[in-house]
Amino acid sequence: MSRPQFALMLRRLSLAAVLTVGVVVLWPERKAAVAGTEAKAQSGEYKYVLRMSVGQNYLPGSVPAGIGEPLQGVTQVVAAFEARYPDTKVEIVTVPIEREFLVTQLSGGAAPDIVSVNVEDVWVDAQKQWYVPLDRFLERPNPFVVAKGDPAAPGARQWWDMFTYQAITRGKAAPDGNNYCISLDMVETGIFYNRTFFAQHGLRPPESWGEFIALLRRVKELGRTPLLTNIDCLADWGTDLIFDQFYRELMPGLDLKKDDPVRAAYLQGYMDPEEISFLHRQGYFTRRDPRFVEVWRKLGELRPFLTKDINTQDLTREFVTQQAVMLWNGSWFVYRLAGDQQLGFDWGVFYLPPMLPADSPYASGLPMCVIGGVATQLEVTNSALSDTDPALPFAERIARSGRLRRAVELLQFMCLPENTGRIVNEYPALIPNIVGVPVHPQLDPFVEILKRRYTTTKWAYTFDLRFTDILKRILHLYLTGAIDLDEFMRWQEDNVTTATENFLQRTQTDLAPLQQEWDRLAPLRAGWRDVPPPPSR
Amino acid sequence: MKPPDLSPSRLRFAASCHALLLPSVLLLLTFIYLPVVWAFLKSLYEFEVGSPARFVGFANYLEYLVNDPPTWPSVFNMFLLTAVGVFVRLSFPLIVAKLIHSLPYERTRYLYRIAFLVPIVVPGVAVQLLWSRMIYADYGLLNEFLRVVGMDGWTHSWLNDPQTALVALMCFGFPFAGGFEVLIYYAGLSAIPESVNEAAALEGCTGVSKFLRIDVPLVLSQLKLILVLTVIGGIQGFEGILVLTQGGPGFETMVPGLWMYYNAFSFQRMGYACAIGVLLFVAILGLTLLNLRYFRSAEEVQGGAT
Repeated sequence: MSRPQFALMLRRLSLAAVLTVGVVVLWPERKAAVAGTEAKAQSGEYKYVLRMSVGQNYLPGSVPAGIGEPLQGVTQVVAAFEARYPDTKVEIVTVPIEREFLVTQLSGGAAPDIVSVNVEDVWVDAQKQWYVPLDRFLERPNPFVVAKGDPAAPGARQWWDMFTYQAITRGKAAPDGNNYCISLDMVETGIFYNRTFFAQHGLRPPESWGEFIALLRRVKELGRTPLLTNIDCLADWGTDLIFDQFYRELMPGLDLKKDDPVRAAYLQGYMDPEEISFLHRQGYFTRRDPRFVEVWRKLGELRPFLTKDINTQDLTREFVTQQAVMLWNGSWFVYRLAGDQQLGFDWGVFYLPPMLPADSPYASGLPMCVIGGVATQLEVTNSALSDTDPALPFAERIARSGRLRRAVELLQFMCLPENTGRIVNEYPALIPNIVGVPVHPQLDPFVEILKRRYTTTKWAYTFDLRFTDILKRILHLYLTGAIDLDEFMRWQEDNVTTATENFLQRTQTDLAPLQQEWDRLAPLRAGWRDVPPPPSR
Repeated sequence: MKPPDLSPSRLRFAASCHALLLPSVLLLLTFIYLPVVWAFLKSLYEFEVGSPARFVGFANYLEYLVNDPPTWPSVFNMFLLTAVGVFVRLSFPLIVAKLIHSLPYERTRYLYRIAFLVPIVVPGVAVQLLWSRMIYADYGLLNEFLRVVGMDGWTHSWLNDPQTALVALMCFGFPFAGGFEVLIYYAGLSAIPESVNEAAALEGCTGVSKFLRIDVPLVLSQLKLILVLTVIGGIQGFEGILVLTQGGPGFETMVPGLWMYYNAFSFQRMGYACAIGVLLFVAILGLTLLNLRYFRSAEEVQGGAT
């Protein structure tokens, strides 16, 4: 071999060695483990390989807000479950939160067996049989509680009895009457404020909307950003809280659907989409409805006090650096603040104050309602029925599926107090929803808020995603001053009309019973002022 | 006229050519033409994924063209962004290519070509995220620069302010010297015969004058290619807008392609999305035919001159 050939060979060998070392060093460890699991599953060692997406709050290995150790709660509970069922393997998977992804997975029967999705999104697709109604399981005993031998323990009679917040949990039943979600935890929103700044400038949490606006104005005069929030919060929480303030008192004359005692126990006349659709045809939620216009006018009062970019997803930076004084967020933010060793100020939480008659002619003066509720919402998908013949009726598939039973057993196992405690209380962010699981003391303010009544409706989740998307877009333009209230109302009325007509067309809802109830309640509405005129026939 | 050669050997040759082309044609029919026909048929229905379809005729087209509020603002945005795209892609890269081509040493020309080519390997989404989070962000390069020079009042949430979002999209990619276009134009400039350059020099035609009178007409083929690609990309492309602004704030940066995407995959209005897709297809086809008909290539220019 000549010298140049030798040199060339040496270079190639060196390159090959470097590449080999690189591949070995960078080879993903977890991938190998998953591959091992798949091999076992293929070889028949596992009868069931369940895939579960627990949502971002409890994702094993993640570090919430970059503080503390990686989460392990779900991993530990799953390991205990697998030890109990050696024929079952549970894979924790990460599913993109984008609905686009989930829709394609569900339509192809390829979604995880258990997913974490806002149940209102589930309602939209319930008739497609993509999700399994869980009532038949909830109405039976939780076998793991029964196995402990205490017949008085919650869950020994019905799995339902294990949930602390009964009304909220049962209230998440879909409009078709079925319950599709299990929730281990609750969340509520609040306005976090810089208590040190408040003390320095003689400020205090407001008692009314008028005081709140005055407080925001004062903070702005002091050179700080008064309120951090984003368009998602405003379109969802802001809209519903103010809407409830103006319509709650009218509910006795507007609540047209009282045939669901389970949901009514907590929701107290919650406006379902068919009710909104019917009322819209009567002129409500249009430009002719002064209360509806007032909702957006009052929301617009926040405009001068918001951060420059209301599309931001980073609500933290300005608050912790004390450029902003208040921040509207969920209870999960407690962990971020409590865990920050360099925060440099004291903080507190207050809830949005009520509107008084001095603030608006339509104000009821009632305290602001609850807008949060169930947090992590776990649903069982059609993938759990993959061991049954798709040609069978849906109910029969549910009755026959062993895989579904195992998936439900996993949820029942997670609901044991010791397991829920391990998952939910791994860090102070959400409030446990299982009887016997203690609450982190730092979350006490949110527990108090949760005792209030629930919102009248949730606009952002009531209709299709087109409605919500357009609502957010036009609200963004309105709150940044790109369009005025008249222009906004024109868009919004069109949006509500399209959404309600699409809803009625899609669900083929019979409005005759609502019309009868509407006529029956006419005497109640007789003395009302400032309501929309009846539509011209 | 000479009669066609119908000899057996010639026919056998033609048959074998057709046989070799057949797989490609079948794939083309299956994956390109069939979906277009399928999309048109589906555009006549209203249906969601997982739900039965309902025949609605041309109602989806009517709703999009007459009743859907975002339609015409988004069409305006699309044409504006396409027009800006055509301008910047036909000008800046050509100037850069000419400057590189004018360098006296091959080694430096080579180095510049490499320098402009390397960014092509960076995925487009990565570049878009870079602009979104490093340049246009609240604490990004642009705003920080403005703060440093004492122009705090000029800082913006560039992509989320209704007044600046569309302009910010137009400025995406500044200084607009994309490696692909630079290479295409460079190849065109390199293909100009040396005799033409020498003749121009002898006639005293140099500098800007030569660029405008000699070089530009002789790279018309390349300009035509980039024009067609830019128009097609401008009408059907939306990925960059999806990453940068999601069509917002409001509908300030919405384009029809993105509205089609939202209707299909977010709102599950598949029939409606198909109708938008069919209309986009018709628009692209029409504009491409116009380009081919009225924008002459260098060969055609030369052919017309002789």
